[in-house]
Amino acid sequence: MRTFLKSAAIIVVVLATFGFLAFLYYIPPFLTTAPETFGKLMADAAPAVTDIADPGERAIAERGRYIVMTTGCNGCHSVVGSQGPDLSLYLGGGGIKIQTPHATFVSRNLTPDKETGLGRRTDDEVKRVLRSGTFSDGHVVEGTVMPWPLFSNWTEEDRHAVVVYLRHLKPIHHVTPEPVRGRAITIPGAIEQDYGGKDYGTSKAEHR
Amino acid sequence: MKGRVRYGCVAAVAVLVAVAFSQLSARVDAQPRGKNVYDAHCVECHGESGRGDGSSAAYLTPHPRDFTTAKYKIRSTESGSVPTDGDLTQSVRQGLYGTAMPAWDRILSDAEIADVVAYIKGLSPQFATAPQPVTVGAGIPSSPESIARGQQVYDKLQCGKCHGSDGRGTGAVATTFEDEWKQPLRAADLTEPWTFHGGATARDVYLRFRTGMAGTPMPSFADAASDSEMWDLSNYVVSMARKPVWSMNADEIKTFYGAQTADAKANPVKRGAYLVETLGCVVCHSPVDDQKRMLPGLKLAGGMLMRIVPFGDYPTGNLTSDKATGLGNWSDEEIKRAITKGLLRDGTRLLPFPMDYASYSTMTADDLSAVVAYLRSLPPVTNKVPAPRRTFLPVYLWGKFKMLILGQDPPTVVFPGNAGLTGGR
Repeated sequence: MRTFLKSAAIIVVVLATFGFLAFLYYIPPFLTTAPETFGKLMADAAPAVTDIADPGERAIAERGRYIVMTTGCNGCHSVVGSQGPDLSLYLGGGGIKIQTPHATFVSRNLTPDKETGLGRRTDDEVKRVLRSGTFSDGHVVEGTVMPWPLFSNWTEEDRHAVVVYLRHLKPIHHVTPEPVRGRAITIPGAIEQDYGGKDYGTSKAEHR
Repeated sequence: MKGRVRYGCVAAVAVLVAVAFSQLSARVDAQPRGKNVYDAHCVECHGESGRGDGSSAAYLTPHPRDFTTAKYKIRSTESGSVPTDGDLTQSVRQGLYGTAMPAWDRILSDAEIADVVAYIKGLSPQFATAPQPVTVGAGIPSSPESIARGQQVYDKLQCGKCHGSDGRGTGAVATTFEDEWKQPLRAADLTEPWTFHGGATARDVYLRFRTGMAGTPMPSFADAASDSEMWDLSNYVVSMARKPVWSMNADEIKTFYGAQTADAKANPVKRGAYLVETLGCVVCHSPVDDQKRMLPGLKLAGGMLMRIVPFGDYPTGNLTSDKATGLGNWSDEEIKRAITKGLLRDGTRLLPFPMDYASYSTMTADDLSAVVAYLRSLPPVTNKVPAPRRTFLPVYLWGKFKMLILGQDPPTVVFPGNAGLTGGR
């Protein structure tokens, strides 16, 4: 009787272990949330523009929202955990660290926060980055780090809509580390992207 | 007396030599200084050698200028001539509207701009010949009469063949163009002056007719039209401008977006091309060389390697319509499922990044169909992409366990290069 119980217990443990391994093997990678619902989470994370009183501006911001959402800006510019994007930090930056052979970048804060986000930049400056990858200090970011060459193909009117939408986000005080750059010229080598689940920024200004 | 003359001569010669030498050394110095400016700001698009082949170049429309051929669109010089220093300086200072070239006047000093212009000129032997500037007269002030005459010139010169009867391409005979470097090109939409590369004043437009845009199908009309005809035409083109969306009122915006949506529905391939060019598909689904430059002839043919640590190697797929190696045998539904759910035809599940299917799943049904329609229209390119290779099973399972159960250690995506190319060109 005792031997029977023992073997039964062993069988159960072995089965459970195999079952668990099979579960790990077959579930979709990374997410405990089904990919189908993940898309909806992304859409819900993008704040609606219904609070904009002016109907014209609302229509433009709505267009901008659609572009920001479908393009997946928050894939890099939000902190995304295993349950989906962190709503409290939507487009607040710090979601990804990218290492190239000569530089390190952390995604920036795109919210209108005046100290840590795009509140510091004029519309023209934001559009210039989206059109030319060129920052006000003259640095040109590699297209392989931030895919601005694709956003350069937006019509100027769509680019305008994106900026109008970004201006309507909730300002989030969230400091992201400045890029560390070496040589400016593109040199061969692998590019590494460290993703999600982790906030590379900080909500306090002390690290600046 | 004689001595004084002699001394005078010697002094004059010395002054001349000194002036000549300082001129020469200024030119000699400007070039290395210009190279520093160039290396810091221009390389990403124009390439280290100035051939317009930087790592971002192939994704941009229009492509960045190739400085080694000295062919410039924005000039105030005769057809076939190199541009003046003033032309080049203006393009650097104010940028080229409707392109990725930004205005550098807020970023670079006048001296730096002069240095980089000198450097760029040094990249082509053509600049040994002096530019032949055109003389631009006072022009004809715009008036309803001048605009009406300009419209007749527009018809007479058959501008509508490329630009359409309305300047927006409606009824155009030629719709696809290539420049001299075999790069795709669009005829300018004449109702959108904010996209006129060299500016949108009547004088700017006049100069484009008068001098032509080198390297493109836009010729010089200096021989085909009189000076006053070209000024009338310029006034007409300037008068074609429509309101940009940022100047419209609410009703106009509604009408404008409505018309855009209708146009997208009527021309799904065109809309799909815009989406694929802007969503990010091209960046990962086109293989690159060791300088991160897209390999010619392999746009969207897949094969860039995504090493997702610790899960395995996932090469990007061939999105062209090739039956054996691309999407040729996929059904529309299968393509849509891959784009929105990350589920491949053989049942492989993709990670939610770098292929951001969660975001793509928020596209409207029409836009999703447009993307599929565009991918179907791509000419087939044979490029067999290796199958995804999972890491050693225990490593794979441990990685998942850490990520899903312990909720730590997010994956790292590494782009070491290509997955191995087997076709193309």
